[in-house]
Amino acid sequence: MIELMAIVASREIEDRAIIYIGTGIPMLAASLAQNMHAPNIVPVFEAGGIAPQMPTLPLSVGCSRTTYRAIRTCDMPEIFEMAQLGIAHYGFLGGAQVDQYGNINSTVKGRYEAPTVRWPGSGGANAFGSLCWRTMIIINHEKRRFVEKVDFITTPGYIDGPGAREKAGLPPGTGPYKVFTDKALLDFEEKTKRMRLIGLLPGVTLDDVMENTGFELLISDTLKKVPPPTKEELKVLREKVDPHRIVLSRGDKESQ
Amino acid sequence: MAKKVIEILEEGSGKIFSKITPNEFREHMREKVKNAWRDKRMDIKTAIGQFVHDGDYLTMGGVSFIRLSMVAVHEIIRQKKKNLNLAAGTRTYDFNLLLDAGCVKNIDCGYITGMEIFGIPYVTRKRAERMITSGEMGISEYDNASMAFRHKAAAMGIPFLPIRNMMGADGFKHSAAKKIRCPFTGEEVILVPAIYADVCIIHVHRCDIYGNSQIEGALNEDLGKSKSAKRLIITTERIIDTEEIRLSPDRTLIPCFYVDAVVEIPYGAHPTNMPGMYYVDINHMKEYISAARDQAGLEKYYNKHIFGVEHFKEYLKTIGGKKKLKYLEDLEHLRVR
Repeated sequence: MIELMAIVASREIEDRAIIYIGTGIPMLAASLAQNMHAPNIVPVFEAGGIAPQMPTLPLSVGCSRTTYRAIRTCDMPEIFEMAQLGIAHYGFLGGAQVDQYGNINSTVKGRYEAPTVRWPGSGGANAFGSLCWRTMIIINHEKRRFVEKVDFITTPGYIDGPGAREKAGLPPGTGPYKVFTDKALLDFEEKTKRMRLIGLLPGVTLDDVMENTGFELLISDTLKKVPPPTKEELKVLREKVDPHRIVLSRGDKESQ
Repeated sequence: MAKKVIEILEEGSGKIFSKITPNEFREHMREKVKNAWRDKRMDIKTAIGQFVHDGDYLTMGGVSFIRLSMVAVHEIIRQKKKNLNLAAGTRTYDFNLLLDAGCVKNIDCGYITGMEIFGIPYVTRKRAERMITSGEMGISEYDNASMAFRHKAAAMGIPFLPIRNMMGADGFKHSAAKKIRCPFTGEEVILVPAIYADVCIIHVHRCDIYGNSQIEGALNEDLGKSKSAKRLIITTERIIDTEEIRLSPDRTLIPCFYVDAVVEIPYGAHPTNMPGMYYVDINHMKEYISAARDQAGLEKYYNKHIFGVEHFKEYLKTIGGKKKLKYLEDLEHLRVR
């Protein structure tokens, strides 16, 4: 299902987009887009890579695949300064939990003081989600991940509703934009800032999505069926983007 | 005229683990620069023994799998350094090894325990959870941007920086950051405290005997970190003549004033990536992750690769020697896929 998520997400990345990329599936999607319809996207990696032409899938946000044939290498403050300056179109993130307002948790499961699981923490996510104009989230569609309210806001979405980001002091006009899962394509309804189902992945029913969502999901009037992967998308993803199945193989044993 | 105050709108409850102030740092540097042009070459054992002390605040160069000074990490572990305070903006393998070896006391956390694309080693995650929950390890919550700006602030010689993220996030509550209204624009900003460290270790591509250092590829937080530590150990792939440095001064990221020790050690970042030289040793990373499934496996790993060897050259034999290193060079240059 990782393949499908990466493919659906890659289609949403338009050419020349300046896109801040987190580790894992976001890298797959961006790399696929770069090899398909969007050869001129500008991937940005927080360790200091700007506009690389990724020859193979990067293993981390700071390996030499993130600076290969780049237009500039720099240090980390400069990357986040660019985001503060309003240069970043998209932040592209994973996470362990997401809620109806697009808040992301990658810090703890349960109470902060006595968590049942401690995840790695923010990494670059908090700044991507705070400063990039639009945040894209990629996450498995499971009830334990799609929760009413995240246990910990690592990266703020619309927090608790319209106007909350601005009230908190975040730059105006920013926030979650789309969510890609192994079942659906979702966005955020403009007035309420709540997550909304806009597309079903091949073979997935509305009931499947509802059963695996831990909150009341808005449903678009123009709910569409997302077209299945093309042969070419699959071929490029498997043979060019991740031939060693470094991320793709994770689909079989994902266990957070 | 009535006294005007800049109001603190909100503040986190997190601790500050580095207590060094800008003025204290200035006094230190005033003395230190006297030795700027001394021949600083030494071996790693001496450098770690002399410059890394129990209880220090330590910053490490590189990030995720790029340019980690693994030679230094191994030696810190062999010398059983204790109670280190660590700046942990996207630390991966280096942090994990130090944590599991019992070297770490407190952390300013951006990202810990994860090995990015390879997942989280089980034993390390469990240890971190236990130490954080019990209070055995102190933690303040940040993110990579705020940590990078904290190092940058220190490198600027100032006590804090205003930044634009951390608002509306729970991490803020567990950090030492403060939210104020900007006295110039009226907009809200977050202030993050500078981190002046006791000691910093950075692995570089080349430097001269004084420590004038050149780095290629992504620079991570190294500009900030290298300039904001009382003591700086440079580990380097090779030592070059100062004349060569002078031919490309635009490549020099760290001038010698900041440097205390120069340790020449080829492949000193293995199994991480040295841009333009050698790539990540994927198989070794997998070996490590699977060893860390249980404590016994992890101990075996330490014994084989760290405690069982005298120095890094010997370690390089345990990971496959010249043949493996040649392969990693080919991988870096895309001669093999």
